[in-house]
Amino acid sequence: MRDPVSIVMLILLAVLAYLVIWPFFQLVINTFTWSEGSRRISREAVPGQFTWFYWLQVTAGPISGKMLYGPLINTLITGIISTILALIAGGSLAWCIVRSDMPGKRWLQPILTLPYILPSFAVALAWETVFRSPKVGGQPGLYEAILGIAPPEWLSYGVVPISITLAIHYFPFAYLLVAGALATIDSQMEESALISGAGKLTILRRITFPVVAPAFVAAIILTFGKTIGQFALPFLLGAPTQFHTVATMIYANLALGLDSMAYVLAVILIAMSLLSIWLSNRFIKKKSGRFETISGKGFRSREIALGNWRWFIFSVVSLFGFVVGILPIILLGVQSVMLIDGFYGLENLTSHFWIGKSNLNIAGGEPGVIYNKIILGATWNTLKLAFLSAVFASVIGIIIAYIAVRRANNPLAVLLDQIAFIPFLFPTIAFGAMYLTLFAVPVGPIPALYGTFTLLVLISVVSRLPYSVKTGITAVTQIGQELEEAAEVAGASWGRRFRKIIMPLASSGIMSGMMVSFVGVMRELSLIILLITPATRVLMTAGFGYAEEGLTQLTNALVLIVALLTISGELILWKIGKGRMARLREKQS
Amino acid sequence: MENWQGAHGALTRKTILKGGGIMAKISIRNLTKRYGDMTALNNVSLEIDNGEFLVLLGPSGCGKTTLLRCLAGLETPDNGEIIIGDEVIFSSKEKIMLPPGKRNLGMVFQSYALWPHMTVRDNVKFGLDVIKTPKEASDRQLDEVLAKLGMGDLSERYPSELSGGQQQRVALARLLATKPPVFLMDEPLSNLDARLRMDMRVELKRFQSDAGATTVYVTHDQTEAMTMSTRVVVMKNGEIQQVSPPAELYKQPQNTFVADFIGMPRINLIEMQGDGQIFSNGDITIDFGWKPGIKNVVLGARPEDLKISSNPKAHGETYRVMAILPNGPETIVQLQRGKTVIIGRIGHDIIFEKNQEVKVTYTQTSLNVYDADTQNLISPINNI
Ligand SMILES: Nc1ncnc2c1ncn2[C@@H]1O[C@H](COP(=O)(O)OP(=O)(O)OP(=O)(O)O)[C@@H](O)[C@H]1O
Ligand SMILES: [Mg+2]
Repeated sequence: MRDPVSIVMLILLAVLAYLVIWPFFQLVINTFTWSEGSRRISREAVPGQFTWFYWLQVTAGPISGKMLYGPLINTLITGIISTILALIAGGSLAWCIVRSDMPGKRWLQPILTLPYILPSFAVALAWETVFRSPKVGGQPGLYEAILGIAPPEWLSYGVVPISITLAIHYFPFAYLLVAGALATIDSQMEESALISGAGKLTILRRITFPVVAPAFVAAIILTFGKTIGQFALPFLLGAPTQFHTVATMIYANLALGLDSMAYVLAVILIAMSLLSIWLSNRFIKKKSGRFETISGKGFRSREIALGNWRWFIFSVVSLFGFVVGILPIILLGVQSVMLIDGFYGLENLTSHFWIGKSNLNIAGGEPGVIYNKIILGATWNTLKLAFLSAVFASVIGIIIAYIAVRRANNPLAVLLDQIAFIPFLFPTIAFGAMYLTLFAVPVGPIPALYGTFTLLVLISVVSRLPYSVKTGITAVTQIGQELEEAAEVAGASWGRRFRKIIMPLASSGIMSGMMVSFVGVMRELSLIILLITPATRVLMTAGFGYAEEGLTQLTNALVLIVALLTISGELILWKIGKGRMARLREKQS
Repeated sequence: MENWQGAHGALTRKTILKGGGIMAKISIRNLTKRYGDMTALNNVSLEIDNGEFLVLLGPSGCGKTTLLRCLAGLETPDNGEIIIGDEVIFSSKEKIMLPPGKRNLGMVFQSYALWPHMTVRDNVKFGLDVIKTPKEASDRQLDEVLAKLGMGDLSERYPSELSGGQQQRVALARLLATKPPVFLMDEPLSNLDARLRMDMRVELKRFQSDAGATTVYVTHDQTEAMTMSTRVVVMKNGEIQQVSPPAELYKQPQNTFVADFIGMPRINLIEMQGDGQIFSNGDITIDFGWKPGIKNVVLGARPEDLKISSNPKAHGETYRVMAILPNGPETIVQLQRGKTVIIGRIGHDIIFEKNQEVKVTYTQTSLNVYDADTQNLISPINNI
């Protein structure tokens, strides 16, 4: 029986095995193989031969403290602190929005998700704008300009700012997870406890909390898993004072040409991520099955009256929303129109960085955004990359979803679904490192893709697959099998059925999935930072480049452009009717 | 399964559309279908005549849908063969598995499976497009079918803008449009309300006999099975229990399962012991009028086989009335004698009181006797 679905399935399996699984092995193999450039670090080096050298150096060598243990501890500390902060903020906000009668929920909700929509970089830049300290170089920040004294260094760089900004970036993520769980609570559960005489606190402790506990723990672990893979943010707020996390250390090592050391760190980072996701899955499996709320006919969600506290809590939440969601964007904007960085006064305002031509006295002659070849090229690249990746990811995603749903009893189909999910487990910077090792040289018929735009599209598509397959599965599951069988009985071939029945019916799901990918790829930095060359620059990497050169205004301008683009994308999605909330919840389920 | 053959010399539907009226006798031989450890169909064999209206009936999970889907080609059986007309469409031995579209059949799904993104007309047209019907012929055919089903005015609507009954008609139009010689229907009326269901039964039956298509129809509903079919197949646990015309099925169920399954209210099944032709269970005693030839039997007596009289002088044994359940034209009564409880049926104009004593006799010729060991029918003809 020549079944076109099986053929497509086998092709996809082969391609994904090469693009997802093989890079991981390639990365691991690299850490055990003497590299060409290692002759200068060790006399024993025999390029191509097996060695423990890199692992020993990283884990037990004289530099291991600086290379691994220091960054590891920093990663854990910032990860844990930011996770706790994110959970406290996300959890209480979720309760306020889902269960209380706080006013203004409708517009507070989108504002509270803004920090997650913006590139993580944006919050870090905003932080720098305020707390920058001339002690480490550069101009004074707002804090110093207003208060007249320099901020303490712990407030400018290191654990505190990194943890706080990470928490700001990730609390919406925790918020969505907890809100999802809270929304499943049937007030009747609480009411029946109330009738049996339980007090409010007892109800919270004995009924409400146990029900959301699994989601809470899952949120803790997933948030932690995400924070440890963050690169841009800790780099910006840590590197100036030699504060490194594992992720930034990977970048630093590559910059120094210590590629193999970087790969060892990447493997360690992947292991950490796998461990946290494995823990979360184990916990969810064990708990959520038992705690699944049985929603009967009369499901009701009653809002809890805040009484006199109503407006007070509203003000606190609004202020918080403003500080974490809107203020950073304003700061980016302000920063991008200042002639001399760090000098706050009306006479210092300029539109040069947006519409000025090259002027050797300003910013080393870099022209403003609209005349800047680098920026214009990067904008074009960004849009091209985001568009192509979104289209490919969605189409491949829907095909994989179709196979996974309709051939659920075929072990190969299940395998395909699982492989497509794997990129989710790789911290993005480590995934970039894998592709660096895989595509640096030609292998068989596959050319060395390093430095090409194709490689960026490839990695972006693969990294979006876990999400687009999930979206696709939701879409395909909703299309009853009988709809397709009716066409099959009428004699329609698989191709025709896919085109005429599946695609049109899944299209709205696919479209919103495409938009999500478009926005996601646009603000991505860690994933591609290792693979970018001047010719393939995108906005985020160009911004990062300017930040490294100290051209703060241009960085701010670029990140602001990305922020506005992503927000417009989100607004379009919002209009389409599937807000960020619903979709993220869908992804997590 | 890699080398399974596709269509070879299959009559395309196009030729049928032109020529019309080919013979579509269906033979199912030793069909077995397993899902893991579960045997959904166990060695099922069945001959279906050209133009027949065959109903598959049985409790939930007995394999009706599975059999229908095997016929359609939506499931691949593990064993056996299926022949439609004179073409083998499935054979495990010869590794033939014709895909659904090549089997010359139309199917109505329980959910109707209307494509929500296509108008009524496009839904019906799809099948014609697949077989590349020229535009003119296709348009003519479409208009004709839609008019016949009274859907002419609604042809530009989308399925979501139709009532349940109208959706049902679209599903039917889709079936009729390509004029397949075989119709397969899986509980097509189960989503309609009781009234509409009755009307549609008549209509469906009319379309079927007009088209002369061999029809296999799955249902849960006994009345539907009895009123529409030429023959009924009763299934249980993936096996065929009985294949009979409806009247015979009611009168002579071949085993106690069928006897119990067919008929509302249920048949009275009473275990009895005896010698010769008089049997008793300690409470009641009945003379069968013939000799079953064994000691342990199960008596099957339909509620209407009881003759009940309130006259204390009448012939028969005395029972007490336990419950009276009026049901329109008839009344169901529950009677007790000793520990034995039986159900009887009387006209609505006969009034009994609770706890009243009545006399009961049985219509000897309507009684069925089953072997208590095998639960199979013992026919009087072989045993006199
Ligand atoms: N895809 C499948 N996988 C596993 N088991 C199945 C599958 N399809 C059907 N079965 C099992 O096969 C048996 C027969 O199912 P089938 O759908 O034919 O029953 P049915 O007679 O149509 O029942 P109903 O009247 O409820 O529709 C059932 O026990 C069912 O659980
Ligand atoms: Mg069924």
